Amino acid sequence: MNMNAVKIIALVSLIAGGCWLFGLGLTVYDQFFHGPTASLSKEIKPKETAVNEQQLHLVALGDSLTRGTGDETGKGYVGYTLDALRKKTKRPIQVTNLAIKGQQSTQLVTQIQKVEVQRQLRQADFVFMTIGGNDLFQGGEALRNFSRARIDEAKKVYLKNLDSVFRTIRAINPRAVVFYIGLYNPFNQLNNAKMTSAIVREWNYASAEVAARYPNIIAVPTYDLFELHVNDYLYSDQFHPNKEGYKLIGERVASLISFSKGGK
Amino acid sequence: MTNLVYNEMLKVVRKKRLLIVASIIAVLVALFTYAQFRHVQDVQKRLGTSDWRTQLQQQIIDTQNRLNSSGLAEEWRKFLQIRLQQQQYYLDHDINPSAPGAPTFMRMFVENSIELFLPLMIMVVVADLVSSEASGGTIKLLLTRPVKRWKVLLSKYIAMLLSVSFIVLLLALLSYLISGAVFGYGGWNLPLLTGFTINGEELNTTNVHLIAQWKYLLVELSLAWFVSVVVGTLTFMLSVLMRSTAAVMGVMLAALISGAILSSMVSSWQSAKYLFMVNLSLTDYISGTAPPITGMTLGFSMSVLAVWGLVALFVSFIVFTKRDVY
Repeated sequence: MNMNAVKIIALVSLIAGGCWLFGLGLTVYDQFFHGPTASLSKEIKPKETAVNEQQLHLVALGDSLTRGTGDETGKGYVGYTLDALRKKTKRPIQVTNLAIKGQQSTQLVTQIQKVEVQRQLRQADFVFMTIGGNDLFQGGEALRNFSRARIDEAKKVYLKNLDSVFRTIRAINPRAVVFYIGLYNPFNQLNNAKMTSAIVREWNYASAEVAARYPNIIAVPTYDLFELHVNDYLYSDQFHPNKEGYKLIGERVASLISFSKGGK
Repeated sequence: MTNLVYNEMLKVVRKKRLLIVASIIAVLVALFTYAQFRHVQDVQKRLGTSDWRTQLQQQIIDTQNRLNSSGLAEEWRKFLQIRLQQQQYYLDHDINPSAPGAPTFMRMFVENSIELFLPLMIMVVVADLVSSEASGGTIKLLLTRPVKRWKVLLSKYIAMLLSVSFIVLLLALLSYLISGAVFGYGGWNLPLLTGFTINGEELNTTNVHLIAQWKYLLVELSLAWFVSVVVGTLTFMLSVLMRSTAAVMGVMLAALISGAILSSMVSSWQSAKYLFMVNLSLTDYISGTAPPITGMTLGFSMSVLAVWGLVALFVSFIVFTKRDVY
């Protein structure tokens, strides 16, 4: 081995060592003696990025149904809708799925106040959403200890939230088409089916009424899809749709979207 | 003294260990660069966009969904919760924590190698520094010279410090040069957030401030160096205590790997925080990740490591100067 190489390595190491020692001093200063900075506390508005005019933006909001819980492929109805849309148009499609499992309407109201969520909504051409399932069923709780008064209470809150969500979306983005996907009755085959079905129907009717107050918000029914063979379309938790169930919803939503020449 | 140190450096370089370490780092960096490249492409394809805000938002939603699933281990839930708040903070302040570029890759590489990979490399170089003299019998020749014993050991220790500094430098340079070929060499001035403190499940952001990426990297690399010096000192002590290099490596390897395993399961064993191997991930405090045991802070971990290092140094010198050599 060349003697000089050893000297060079030793020298380089020495310099590097000095450098790391300096860095350590910097670390101690930066981490232990740094006061809070005031400049960061203010909210920074993100810069709007140039939107690709060609690209279609889909934004999905809501709960586990939009997330696709129960579909082993993980696609959910959003995925199947997307598959169908890709056949209909050659434009590139971007999907942002902001749905959170177990989300209730109150949480959705908070979620769409977030800066980034609003930015996504502003770019959206289509918005898909499901909400209310958790408000109504609370994981089956509300139907097991059935109480009319409690359901009415939940409904009141829910409708107010739904209206607020629709209003916010319309204020942010007046042109996007919003598909509000209604509820089905997963307990169709159980003892008190008559009662639960009536509640779900009323719930859907009231939601559709809220949707009708705003332009371009479409209430898409799913109640009929699951009415006859509910067990064939439910996942093993007897609550969420399975792959076939999601396909049905996806086909229905996709059939509502057409790309005529020029516009959408 | 300088000559002694030079002599020791000569031995280190002659053994070609540094060369081996350099090649291992180069191969790994190349592997990770490719993996990262594939990952970036995959995310872009899945989301149909390269806009980082959309990607980060999607990550936040994914984390929220994971938090809502039942049967999530308590430690993991806490970890996710803290990361979630941090990601939201980055998003709210319009800062991209993972803008593509060699410096970002370097940062991730250092953060991921500080706990196990880097200490292993240090161990490879340091393990036989003293023990090989004992097992090879050359220690007698060394000690018959008219030089005090502590001076002999000190020169070895300084050679160890130099090698450690060199390895950390190698890690920095190689990860920068190799990953830059794919991600580009820019991004030194990217602003990053640091100073997060963690109180239970909450992320405290009162001390959060922006620093440029180059400074952030310097901080992380120097912490990596600090960890390496401590690990090097411990290996050095074992090398003094044991004649067999294989035994030194075995003990260190067991300690380091147990540390990596322990960190993920010690949250309920409070006193484990005094073990050195649980405290190796110093960079986690800079980036604001939840520590393995509640109540651990950067100051705490650095002190624990420093105490272990000093004790090891002390033991090495006592044993080496007092021991009978035959």
